[in-house]
Amino acid sequence: MTSRIRSVDAFLPLTPPMLHALLALADGDKHGYAILKEIARRTDGAVRLSAGTLYALVRRATADGLIVESDERPDISLDDERRRYYRLTPLGRRVAAAEIARLESIVEMARAKKLVPRPKTT
Amino acid sequence: MPERPPSWPDRLFRALLRAFPFDFRTDHAREMEQTFRAQRREAHQEGSMTALARLWFEAFRDVFTTAPREHVSILAQDVVYALRALRRAPVFAASAVLTLGFGMSAMTGMFTIVNAIMLRPLPVDRPEQLVSISNRTGFPYGLSFLDLQDYRQLSAVLTDAVGYAPGVAALDAGDGAERTTIEMVTDNYFSVLGVQPAAGRLIQPNEGRAPGDAPVIVLAHRYWQSRFAGDPAIVGRSVRLNGQPFTIIGVASPSFGGTETLVRVAAYVPAWMFDMFSAPTADSVLDDRARRLFTVLGRLQPGVSLAQARAALGVRAAALARDYPSTHKDVSLQVVPETHTRPNPEIAPFLRVAAPALAGLAALLLLITSANVANLLMARAASRGREVALRAALGARRGRIVRQFLTEAVVLALLGTMVAVPIVVFAMRALQDLIAGVSAIATFEPDFRVDVRVLGVALALAIGAGIVSGLAPAILAYRTDLSRSLQGGGRGTAGGSGSRFRNTLVVAQVALSLTLLVSGGLFVRSLDRARNIELGFDPDGVLLASAAPGMQGYDSVRRLAFYRTVRDRISSLPGVTQAAWISVPPLGITFPRAEVAPDQRPTDPDWRPPTVYTADVSSDYFVTARVPVVEGRAFDDRDNAESAPVVIVNEALAKQFWPDRSPIGRRLTADGATLDVVGVVRNGKYQNVWETPRGMIFRPLAQGGSPFATLAVRASRSPSGLAPAVREAIRQIDPDVALYDVRPMSVHLDNGSAFFIFRVGAFITGVFGAMGLLLASIGLYGVIAYHVSQRTNEIGVRMALGARAADIIRDVLLRGGRYALIGIAIGVLLAGALAQMLRTLLVGVSPFDPLTYAAVVVLLLTVSLLASFVPARCATALDPLVALRAD
Repeated sequence: MTSRIRSVDAFLPLTPPMLHALLALADGDKHGYAILKEIARRTDGAVRLSAGTLYALVRRATADGLIVESDERPDISLDDERRRYYRLTPLGRRVAAAEIARLESIVEMARAKKLVPRPKTT
Repeated sequence: MPERPPSWPDRLFRALLRAFPFDFRTDHAREMEQTFRAQRREAHQEGSMTALARLWFEAFRDVFTTAPREHVSILAQDVVYALRALRRAPVFAASAVLTLGFGMSAMTGMFTIVNAIMLRPLPVDRPEQLVSISNRTGFPYGLSFLDLQDYRQLSAVLTDAVGYAPGVAALDAGDGAERTTIEMVTDNYFSVLGVQPAAGRLIQPNEGRAPGDAPVIVLAHRYWQSRFAGDPAIVGRSVRLNGQPFTIIGVASPSFGGTETLVRVAAYVPAWMFDMFSAPTADSVLDDRARRLFTVLGRLQPGVSLAQARAALGVRAAALARDYPSTHKDVSLQVVPETHTRPNPEIAPFLRVAAPALAGLAALLLLITSANVANLLMARAASRGREVALRAALGARRGRIVRQFLTEAVVLALLGTMVAVPIVVFAMRALQDLIAGVSAIATFEPDFRVDVRVLGVALALAIGAGIVSGLAPAILAYRTDLSRSLQGGGRGTAGGSGSRFRNTLVVAQVALSLTLLVSGGLFVRSLDRARNIELGFDPDGVLLASAAPGMQGYDSVRRLAFYRTVRDRISSLPGVTQAAWISVPPLGITFPRAEVAPDQRPTDPDWRPPTVYTADVSSDYFVTARVPVVEGRAFDDRDNAESAPVVIVNEALAKQFWPDRSPIGRRLTADGATLDVVGVVRNGKYQNVWETPRGMIFRPLAQGGSPFATLAVRASRSPSGLAPAVREAIRQIDPDVALYDVRPMSVHLDNGSAFFIFRVGAFITGVFGAMGLLLASIGLYGVIAYHVSQRTNEIGVRMALGARAADIIRDVLLRGGRYALIGIAIGVLLAGALAQMLRTLLVGVSPFDPLTYAAVVVLLLTVSLLASFVPARCATALDPLVALRAD
């Protein structure tokens, strides 16, 4: 696959569901349903992905090398072994960070134009 | 954890997942089910029905959005991969694309014709509501003007009905007369059809009805563009139509190409002015219920079914038959959707047989083509065994590889449409020219345009042909023994089942091409038989030239003077033996008919006067055409406008009316006129070459004064060489008279009802047959060459052990011959079944004509042996040492 030689910029911008999925994996490996739960929890239920959308995302992210299926499993008693766990790759991590930076620069621009207020500094 | 049987929500969700691509399902279906189950459980725990409903809604939405996207993404990958693979094998790609392109062009071409003539809706408002109302009992199939007015009143079933009648007229816009096809239309024609003007206005109700109304004309948009360069100032100007002034009131919209499918109409004239174009008689033709001149289209009331309309119109027709028994006794109405009577009710039934038959032959050709490409793909699949194995080893699933192979075949076929469509466009232009050359009597110009519908069919055919040719190789690739392929460098992957399949393909190709060749052969034999039918006159060495002095507005005295002068002048030209006029030459497009009755009518109350052919001829006609006068005399200069009206009948009519006595001195009535029979001539063919002898009457041209006539010139040398002299002589006599169709009788016959349809049939089926033969021989060659290449080693051993070249060649030929013979045996059965269906299109030839079958079998066998001989020869030419090393 040619994706390995694609630079980080080639993935940007990410779709919001993709960014959410990568973010959900940032603090540890998760299976599909856990990713959905995490996204719903973090966004107070504002972003709810359906199974089809999620696995289409997972598929694309795997093909692009942003995530991989993880070999490590949590404690066997907690784990339903039929579940597959996904892990953020270093490339995925860099892509997510680049997307956040891109969003930050946009937010910065909006602040400079006083479209949104600056956060209060203490 | 014990597996529980899946609950109904699980099953439903699983069913939904089937919409996703195979690979996607294999990878994720299980997890998706788990996730969905967990989500459902959660919604249950919340106890919220809305959450549950939302979940299901999302699941359904997912299937309709995500699944197609996944399919498209796989398709895109496969197409890119296929294009790359094909670029690496340009020779293979080009031959497959060209083969498929040719194969599809035949079918696409047939569809283009069918589309133009039978399917494409008329370019009018709500064309699906239009029904054709015609007379089922044959020619003329139209309705009289008064009948049309009666039917228009049936407002319970029809919103309205329009009538139109095409005619030919000389249109002079001050720059010389030009023959054009015009249409007499009822005054509601444009409003009922919903046609808008592009300039000026269109014909309005009652326009031209009152005596003394100014004659008006509406131009068709195309004619306005070509003749007047789209000049808007043309509206209001006066032109001369057949010598009489008409004012142009407007131009029809560009989208409206008329209601005729074969003829291109230049201008429209209100039907109220019909009498301006016909011979002056006391009664208007519009008042005569016997003159069934109008083609009629009715517009159904919304919600009214065809059956209801048929019933209501039938009741009215029965009432008319009671009121006018002399003219309407036999009239039976045919009410069908407008598309079913194209190009006219007389030809439509024939076309509805011929079109599917020819399309069937084209489909056979496409099947042979697909078989050929399947063969190419098999060979390619075999040589790609290694690549397939490698991809499989890298994790590609077999379903995915099958899908990839199919995609490649479909991509090839889609590229083939890029070959097929230009071929079709080109072929349709050629066919249009051929049809335009039929006669200058009318502007024959069917619209064989490649439209969206044709393109749609071409694409559908491509996908179908791609799947048909790609399926077997794909399955083969699926079954390929992967480990062996990796070791064996790609050879032998197509193994036993592969070559068996290729052999079957070749047998099928031979069988199908035999079927095509037999149908082609039968059509060629039909044409040959038709050409050898005794016509009743001698067509060789005759030049025809048609003139229409009536279009200049000449009265009958002036016309007759013109006819006489021309005949005298042409007769004296060097190289001319005789010259004579006939009002309409036999075996053209149509031949006029008349109702005749003998002086003593049979007493049978059910007896009706028969309709026979009729023509007006000048005095030397029978000598010139070499029609023997078997009794009485021919016409001579005594028969003129002042003398008693006379008639000459043919033997068939003489036998019908006066079976046991001489007709000379008896009388008959024809279309109301009483005529003395002065002679009997030999029977001939008048409308069709396959007609059984039909009654015919000849009347002296000098006693009628037909507005148009055709001069038959018997030449002592090549008739076509005489054409310029004849043209020039007539131009000197009267440069204003429209002269057309100056051509040898043989050309006239080729373009007329005599041979045209046989020529087209023989040509199309002949081309199909030749292409089928070529493809089958390529297929056979490929299989035998492959067979030989697989056995190079064995052949080398045999040669080294002293086998003679002749033995090797014999073995290879036997193998090829075996396939050919099996194919021929199956093909003969198929051809017999197909020929049975073509029976109605064949003339004078049995569908089981032994000569055709024998010739085709010999031809196929010869070609098959030749196709096998080439690889056989190559095999024996090998150096045994090289051959032994070949593996």
